[in-house]
Amino acid sequence: MIFPDAGAREFPPYSTDACVKCNVCTTVCPVARVTDAFPGPKYVGPQAQRFRGPSLSHTPPDRTVDLCSGCGICTRACPHGVLIAETNSRARAAIVERRGSSFRNRLISDTDLMIRAGAPLAPLANIALRNRMARWIGEKVLGVHRRGPLATFSRQTFGSWWKRSGGARTLPASPDPAKSVVYFHGCAVNGFEPDLGRDAVEILERNGFTVIVPRQECCGLPFISNGLYGKAREKAGRNLATLAEFARAGYRIVGTSTSCTHAFKAEYREMLDLADADAAAVADATWDICELLLDLHDRGELDTGFAPMVGLLPYHPPCQLKSHGIGTPAMDLFALVPGLRAVDSDHDCCGAAGTYGLKAERWQIAQDVGEPLFAKVRASGAARAACDSETCRWQIESSTGVPTVHPITILAESYRRADAQKTEPWRRIM
Amino acid sequence: MPPNRLMPRADTVVIGAGLAGLSCAAELAERGASVFLAAKGMATTHWTHGALDVAAPADAVTPRDGVRLLARSGAHPYRLLGGDVDAAVSGHLSRTADRGLAHTGSLDAPLVDMPTAIGSLRRVAIVPAGQAAAVEPWRGDALVLVGFARYRDAWASYAARNLANAEWEGGPGGISAVEVELPETDRLHNFNALTLSRLFDDPVWRAQALAAVASALPSGSARLGLPAVLGLDRHAEVLADAEQITGRRIFEVPSLPPSIPGLRLFEALHARILGAGGRIQIGFDVVDIEREGSRVAAIHTEAASRTLRLAADSFVLATGGIAGAGIRARPDGTLHERVFGLPVAAPPRDEWFSDDPLRPHPLEAAGIEVDAELRPAELENVRVIGSALAGMHYLDQRCGDGVALASAHLAARSLAGTTAAAA
Repeated sequence: MIFPDAGAREFPPYSTDACVKCNVCTTVCPVARVTDAFPGPKYVGPQAQRFRGPSLSHTPPDRTVDLCSGCGICTRACPHGVLIAETNSRARAAIVERRGSSFRNRLISDTDLMIRAGAPLAPLANIALRNRMARWIGEKVLGVHRRGPLATFSRQTFGSWWKRSGGARTLPASPDPAKSVVYFHGCAVNGFEPDLGRDAVEILERNGFTVIVPRQECCGLPFISNGLYGKAREKAGRNLATLAEFARAGYRIVGTSTSCTHAFKAEYREMLDLADADAAAVADATWDICELLLDLHDRGELDTGFAPMVGLLPYHPPCQLKSHGIGTPAMDLFALVPGLRAVDSDHDCCGAAGTYGLKAERWQIAQDVGEPLFAKVRASGAARAACDSETCRWQIESSTGVPTVHPITILAESYRRADAQKTEPWRRIM
Repeated sequence: MPPNRLMPRADTVVIGAGLAGLSCAAELAERGASVFLAAKGMATTHWTHGALDVAAPADAVTPRDGVRLLARSGAHPYRLLGGDVDAAVSGHLSRTADRGLAHTGSLDAPLVDMPTAIGSLRRVAIVPAGQAAAVEPWRGDALVLVGFARYRDAWASYAARNLANAEWEGGPGGISAVEVELPETDRLHNFNALTLSRLFDDPVWRAQALAAVASALPSGSARLGLPAVLGLDRHAEVLADAEQITGRRIFEVPSLPPSIPGLRLFEALHARILGAGGRIQIGFDVVDIEREGSRVAAIHTEAASRTLRLAADSFVLATGGIAGAGIRARPDGTLHERVFGLPVAAPPRDEWFSDDPLRPHPLEAAGIEVDAELRPAELENVRVIGSALAGMHYLDQRCGDGVALASAHLAARSLAGTTAAAA
């Protein structure tokens, strides 16, 4: 960063003074790659910011900034440390504050509400989600694209499964942060992919941790992505109140969704201006699950008794993961599984970007962004693919037809296979 | 954290994603080492012209000649790299050719003038296939520079006028310019090199555009110089189509950043590293190092929270010189190297002035001094490569790419040797 002391992390738009207009951000922007309607990160970001003034009220941001999908690739590519995507997110929020938001955007951001409404009606809701007529109506009435990648509801949420199975929910009287972790399952595991949550718990327990799953809400990221900062702050406030207690007691908070964990680590502070001690404690305590497992491995403490898994596995490291700055820990973990040939997709973005790829007017952009990735996954001939972020998994799966799972699913299967081989040695020749 | 209990994340961590860092990481990965490349952002590949500047000091006839002349000068990095230039260049050419980016020329090819976007001349001998037609002997052929209507980053008529006045020895028999109206571009909001290169990747648009170019050409044989936008992912195909449809030999003239030939190079090396099992992380600066005596045990890069600790057996510093921000000037007039705080060899503050800012500027030669294996003072498991090295005037000597490749090769060779010896 050119001006490391300018407080850029506290207020990203300040960092735009460091822009030298080299256009590197434009070369990496996946949205500008596929549509001429988006002028690119430099124009809507640092260039436009210079006319807006710090409060963003001087000259209201131009609507084109709303075409930014928020993937964050521009920020990482910038040689000069300009926080481009963060600046664009704030500009979108300023537009929403002035002009309001659509009913559609408020609805698809509210994942807690969707799960509360959808889970009890799961069989019915899922029929609707798979029904072409219902989806067509959804597109015409709500603006949710009929082919937008939506997962199907689980009848039992992860939260209620955890409650029924008697799992720990609160801080124990005598905390043991070295041997316990807090699991933040997020909305995807709670409402749509509870099996992933069970796999995560199984792996954490196998590696010696007691798992605590406190009551939680949506991290608020969908609201942030849609410029609804007020709603996001409500969600963030309630999650921080719960999680900070654990963080201060020395617990690590581990998540299977790279977007929820990134919200705790970065967005709460860099976009929502949550600068208090609770936010800092939670940010410092938050780990992506693969990051945590690789850290265990670095210390020589990971159970590496993985059974062989044969075959090619296309792996797409999602944008949110890359913004963590933790490398690609899943690739390093896959390397511990004998026989597994994981291949990095070497593609920027799948296009989904949370709720972006669901919107009727954005769906085609999201498809075009992800198409080279879809082509690679299809051409690989692999039986499945892996990706750490839920909406990316759904996007890849719905656009390729190749089942796409979290890296944890693969690791859990490998562990289970190892167990089976111990008790039933004949399985080893299978 | 208890550092001594931790296992290393990689054999080698390479810091910097320019030509030097990318090549070194690629070669180490090809040699079977586990490599992690960490960079704070994209580097100068996105700004360069795409030809290989190995050495072109004024008196040199070929790049090999230039390397010999520079190596003799006493302080130039080539005094240490002379034996590595051949292998480094051929390694680079085969590595990029494997990713569909062929080159022409060699260390023994004559350095010849080729035109720039503003109509000046630069001396090259090894160029990507897209620039090959510019270095073939002209033998009286005419040159037609092609510009595109409303494209702001390359002005064919301006370049042609300047070239007509340039002392271009052995140059074309005549120089003229035409402006072509490309299909559908009048409605584009973004009309830059990137947009154009992606349009050329599309076979349907490409056929229409090349037909428009062909019909705008004056009759008679000539070679064509087009802005360097002939495709990004399908460049070889675009180039072949362009020559076939126009019936002329064609070369690309690199224009303003972002450089499309540079992007092709970055993509080729990036894919090569991942394909060989390396890891790449771009976007996070080094914020801390762990030293154990004369060794670096780990670096820490910034992260969304905490830091990423990268422990390794060895570290390669490829963060560039002053232009690449690997070296920074402090207000007190001293220079400092940003990652390891290595001493920087530089002229005193009152000698930082020069009548001509470009040729050769005293600060250009500032950098890190190293031993025969590219180790800086005091750090035995670190190698310094590329423009961070002291003693070169890369603008005047046109040696930046050659030093990058040769030092990357020497570092990879030397580190692979130590890893093999240790194992």
